[in-house]
Amino acid sequence: MSLIARGLEAAGIPTVLVSVMPPLSSAARPPRQVIRRLNIGATVGRPHDVDGQRETLTKMIKLLETADAFGAVDQDKKKSD
Amino acid sequence: MASPVESWHSDQKFDGGPVMSDAASLPAWQPQFETWAEFAQPLLPQGKAKEAFAKYPWFTTDGDPFATLAKPASETRFGLITTGGYSIDGEQEPMRGYPTFGDEVPQIRPIPLDVDRSKLKINHPGYDHKYAEEDINANLPFDRLQELVADGVIGSLSETTLVLMGLQPNVAPLINETIPEIVETFKADGVEAALLVPS
Repeated sequence: MSLIARGLEAAGIPTVLVSVMPPLSSAARPPRQVIRRLNIGATVGRPHDVDGQRETLTKMIKLLETADAFGAVDQDKKKSD
Repeated sequence: MASPVESWHSDQKFDGGPVMSDAASLPAWQPQFETWAEFAQPLLPQGKAKEAFAKYPWFTTDGDPFATLAKPASETRFGLITTGGYSIDGEQEPMRGYPTFGDEVPQIRPIPLDVDRSKLKINHPGYDHKYAEEDINANLPFDRLQELVADGVIGSLSETTLVLMGLQPNVAPLINETIPEIVETFKADGVEAALLVPS
């Protein structure tokens, strides 16, 4: 998916990727990604969690509007150890 | 048909420095992939996908392609891409379910926003379908995106969402064939920004 993002950007279409597996999605260097702590198969949000799903999408849209350089990342904060 | 590399270069607008086409990096990657494919291919039928992919040579390349929005999101037309492996039952061929190692070109299933959702099937074996079966917005967020249009957060949505399969170890046909097709489809639909949702 990161390669699709790169191909679209090279053609002038800005992209943002949501990832729940950052080591995998980062390997191919996507231009922008929102990293969320969610399950594979529920990448946008938990079922029926309307607010959580919307939050993922609004984070993606915001990163499209604000990122000023390649490799921009918006990552959920980890719980402190 | 123009080569994908040429078509990428014909209509690009870059905000930054020099950008190298990912296709140009394929020849250096291909031998690593072929060595890995020989090792990995027999493992998959044995259910050892994890062991196989632990040694996968991830495709990396130089070049920082970066485009920016030409206008606010509230006036921008968005397109959605998912690797959830959906197809429309009775209207489209099911997605090929397992990783391919040869030159098979990764396929695209265009799904209209107003699709009869009872006909949507998930052909992807690599993730748990229970979330999407309970609420499709968990990985195909049609309702949420239409609400964002209604609320004026985004301008509009492309008529079709482009569905692919994940699990495409040979990235060469993806880069050479599928990605140019995605670009062409989105440009024909006036898409100005893309949201990418992997599964």
